Amino acid sequence: MTTTGIDPIKDIDFAADSKVEGRNLVVVLTGNADLNIKDELDRFLVDVHRVAGSLGAAEVSVDVRRLEFMNSSCLKCLVTWISQIQEQPPEKHYRIAFLATPAMYWQRRSLHALSCLAPELVSVQG
Amino acid sequence: MAKRFPPMHDQKANRMPQPGFSFDLSIDPNPRFISLVRRFVEETFERLVGDAESVFRVSMTAHELLENAAKYSLGQKTLLRVSLEQVTEGHRLSLCLINDTTGAHIDRLRDRIDELNATTDAFELYQSLMRRNMKNRDESGLGLARICAEGEMSLGLEVKGNTVAIMSSALFPKAGAA
Repeated sequence: MTTTGIDPIKDIDFAADSKVEGRNLVVVLTGNADLNIKDELDRFLVDVHRVAGSLGAAEVSVDVRRLEFMNSSCLKCLVTWISQIQEQPPEKHYRIAFLATPAMYWQRRSLHALSCLAPELVSVQG
Repeated sequence: MAKRFPPMHDQKANRMPQPGFSFDLSIDPNPRFISLVRRFVEETFERLVGDAESVFRVSMTAHELLENAAKYSLGQKTLLRVSLEQVTEGHRLSLCLINDTTGAHIDRLRDRIDELNATTDAFELYQSLMRRNMKNRDESGLGLARICAEGEMSLGLEVKGNTVAIMSSALFPKAGAA
């Protein structure tokens, strides 16, 4: 368990971890997010949503700078997470800020698609 | 009707055929192998095409096609056929995934590919599918739409009995071309 109480993911080719910074959460995804870790990522993001709510977080930062690739099933996990935030009353909404890098070409297109889906909730930096 | 694509090496288009290359990979569509194949495609096209964004479009397409096979194919054999042909305007890249699947999945593929071919805005349809499938945890429903929207590839489908061939292709203009 980490200080967030969220079980990290440690797969052969993928890792996800989280930490608390002030009242906000920082999530770090690294490696290769594909079909093999889809169920684990779903579970991880449900926990992130729960902890963000209990902290009263204004923002969850998601560092994907060392995430080589994300498949559509894992992108869908992020879409489901966004929908969970949208279903809450507006006072409980928090923002998702992706920390990206232009060096990973999937990020430019895929994160742009996510930010267009919920521009009020999702931002992409980098 | 799903759009039918010409055979992989059809040269009747109004352009001068030039040398290219192609390869077939016959693989077990095990989810553990898919990223390995994507990296192989990526490294191959890095040498041939060079442009990193184009390489992403090709390797992502290979990945999403193979995941479709991993989720829905019957049996252990899937064929990924990749070809790159030099044409006057640049390179024409084609990826074709062939495998056996169920009649129900063939119907879903046909519907989705028809929907993608009918739209004039692949990105808008991709967003619409994200909204439509938001709460469905069992199936992403996004892979083929991603190929069109993010990969800017066109899709086609051929069916023979229980065997399906999903074909994707795109023209990659020469560097510096308008």
